[in-house]
Amino acid sequence: MAMNRLEAVRRLVRLLDTEPVIANLGKNTYDLFAAADRPQNFYTWGAMGSVSSIGLGLALARPDLRVVVLDGDGSLLMNLGSLATIALSRPANLVHIVCDTGTYETTGGQPSHTAAGTDLAAVGRGAGLSRVETVEDLEQFERVARRALAEPGPWLIVAKVAGTSTTAKVPRTPIYHKYRFMDAIRSKPA
Amino acid sequence: MRGGEAVDWSATLAEALRANGYEMIAYVPDEVADTLLQLLREDSSLQMVSVTREEEGVAVLCGAYLGGKRGALVMQGSGLGNSINALCSLAIGFQFPLLMVISERGRLDEFNPVQVPFGRAMPKVFEALGIQAYWMERAEEIPRFVEGATKLAYASALPVALVIPTTLSGGKTWR
Repeated sequence: MAMNRLEAVRRLVRLLDTEPVIANLGKNTYDLFAAADRPQNFYTWGAMGSVSSIGLGLALARPDLRVVVLDGDGSLLMNLGSLATIALSRPANLVHIVCDTGTYETTGGQPSHTAAGTDLAAVGRGAGLSRVETVEDLEQFERVARRALAEPGPWLIVAKVAGTSTTAKVPRTPIYHKYRFMDAIRSKPA
Repeated sequence: MRGGEAVDWSATLAEALRANGYEMIAYVPDEVADTLLQLLREDSSLQMVSVTREEEGVAVLCGAYLGGKRGALVMQGSGLGNSINALCSLAIGFQFPLLMVISERGRLDEFNPVQVPFGRAMPKVFEALGIQAYWMERAEEIPRFVEGATKLAYASALPVALVIPTTLSGGKTWR
């Protein structure tokens, strides 16, 4: 039985201080919001697959921050090339967590390629990443997340989670949240 | 390495990007932009991010902006086609300023038949997306365009495109 994603995200948030989290569209954003609406959360609403790349850009621009990306399996499948780009750029401060439900959960739970055997951790290793972990339960998730927040990366953590029914009403105010996020991490508009 | 003209416009463009505060360059390699990218790579103060697909570059530079850094995306015209969803639902939807430097394909002197459809469509794609785009016809105009496009992008908090036409670059050679 895979771990509950909302509970995993709650545990992740408890490990965080002021680290920014870039959340994938749909259920990852809803669960992060439900776990804690922190100003250091960046909620996305579209551009499926782009959170790993957003996280990379932020991690490179701000080496003083530990940047957490909360991705989904369907989304990462849409941007597998980003794993190669992360491996090439080697941002030590990037923690890329993939909540792997094996489904396109936000569109109704249709099976994704990981349900049929695609192993995103193996893809990550093949892309050139070395700090790669697959975690199956909450204790393991917490242990690995704690390490990833402290030790040099880039990290790729594939968390086998069960989908949750969270439908948190995240305010659909992307531009406001962007500036709130930038204030919280003390970035001035370039 | 291309001929003297490529060095001229490429050097002018590289200098203009530096002068306007760009700190991160995301790119997909391109023959036309090769000299430009080599010149940018020689500047150790710039972060060069080689992406696998242009849409990734849009997101990387949105992330850089969140971190307070100015970024430019260097790509071929076909890369604009690869970038459209991220431009719409990330850059434009969230109001991220971004400079796109696009070497044009499918126009005068094109040798590849399948580059023509997007080359022909590109102006209308910009129009449909509401992205302001400027064609830099002469090397001496480049500093003015980069400065102006940068002001416009950051004032509007939106992507702006500067196009390198084949008439300036000489286009791509068949090899």
